[in-house]
Amino acid sequence: MSQESATGAQQEPTNFLYPFIDSQEDDPTSLLGDLATSARAKAAESFELRRTTLESNAELVVAAAAEMARRFAAGGRLFAFGNGGSSTDSTTLAMLFARPPIGSPLPAWSLTTDQAILTALGNDVGFELVFSRQLIARAKDGDIAVAMSTSGNSPDLVTALREAKHRGMYTVGFAGYQGGAFAASPDVDACFVVRSQSVHRIQEAQGLLGYRLWSTVHEQLADAS
Amino acid sequence: MTTTAIDQGLGADLAADLAATALALARRFFAGATMWSLAPSWQPHAQHIAVEFVHPVIVGKRALPAVALTGPDLVDVVRVSVRPGDIVIGVAGADDRDVGSVMRRSPAWGVTTIWIGSGPRPDAGAADHVLWLDDPDPRVPATGRFVLLYHLLWELTHVCFEHPGLLKPAAECSDEVCVTCSDEGRLGEVLAASAQGSARVRTAQGVEDVATTLVDPVAAGDLVLVHAGMAIGRADEVDDS
Repeated sequence: MSQESATGAQQEPTNFLYPFIDSQEDDPTSLLGDLATSARAKAAESFELRRTTLESNAELVVAAAAEMARRFAAGGRLFAFGNGGSSTDSTTLAMLFARPPIGSPLPAWSLTTDQAILTALGNDVGFELVFSRQLIARAKDGDIAVAMSTSGNSPDLVTALREAKHRGMYTVGFAGYQGGAFAASPDVDACFVVRSQSVHRIQEAQGLLGYRLWSTVHEQLADAS
Repeated sequence: MTTTAIDQGLGADLAADLAATALALARRFFAGATMWSLAPSWQPHAQHIAVEFVHPVIVGKRALPAVALTGPDLVDVVRVSVRPGDIVIGVAGADDRDVGSVMRRSPAWGVTTIWIGSGPRPDAGAADHVLWLDDPDPRVPATGRFVLLYHLLWELTHVCFEHPGLLKPAAECSDEVCVTCSDEGRLGEVLAASAQGSARVRTAQGVEDVATTLVDPVAAGDLVLVHAGMAIGRADEVDDS
């Protein structure tokens, strides 16, 4: 990624398209109007994608939540992981399970929160193994793995899901686009695909899907007790 | 089933707030700002914001300096990190003590503030820019709706970079009674307890020695209003830190 200075606006790749107008522009009114319109259009796109994503994944949410609820009830625990923005979204989901603002807590952790472990594994055995090695150390048969990705192809996640499946965990994958490697993998028990080409819109829909998965797990636990 | 429903689109007010915030953010970045993000109760949001700006998902968009501040003693960590002209973006409820304290102190640090949250709103003027979802459900932070807000903020900020004419600093203000430019009670944060009627105070313009006889005693962290080299009043009545 380029480290060019923030003051290097003249190097913006699209700038050659309008060399004069921009530098002389001094009234922000029209830009502010365009920005607000653009925000509403993108929000509407996000809304529509979240709605259709919940619809097309409705049955899978119920099936996955039922299996997760069975495992939690039997003492299972949840481990969530991802890269970049998806790592933060997976941490949010783990926090929702472990410290919900409403409802009872369930044992869940994010595998990206300990920098010492991440850097030790990344440096010593390679980045591809940063999550699978943590699962080898901590996870047991009966636990749950949740991998969040937009591509569905990240090698560290694919490797971790393989290890998780091998260890008897229930494996949940979140992907975008057409599902990537997650969608075709026998290592992924439940694959939630957000069918979009936009990383941002995919992450927003995955956030809502994760929330719905959490609330459905609690419904299943309530029904079972 | 309880549902934190999908938001029904983005209202005109929030869209306008986002637009104004993005332009302010682009102007600050253009002038060399660093953006500091904090989210004490939902820390991953602070980190998502930072990674979004530092390592954009769209190839070719510039990396911008953004840092998530996490862990204990957040007010102290922000205080030592920020420089005049920087931006602080907090993701928190209106009742968050640390974020509230940071927002109150920011004018003394010369920092532009953005507050993202849901539920009851913070008091008017609590931050320079408030991006708010009025949904009272406490689970809103875990539904992807905040993610949408800061994604949009990132996208709009980069649109602003295509309009460099609008990013230049505003013309120097020559209004003699302008509150921003004149010396009519700038917010200052006391750096050390006053001695002999004077204390070192941090304001947006730097560190200065200020007469404190009107407000003594003052201690480190107190907020005062500074006018013509004198602390003329306290500004920390509601401070709970």
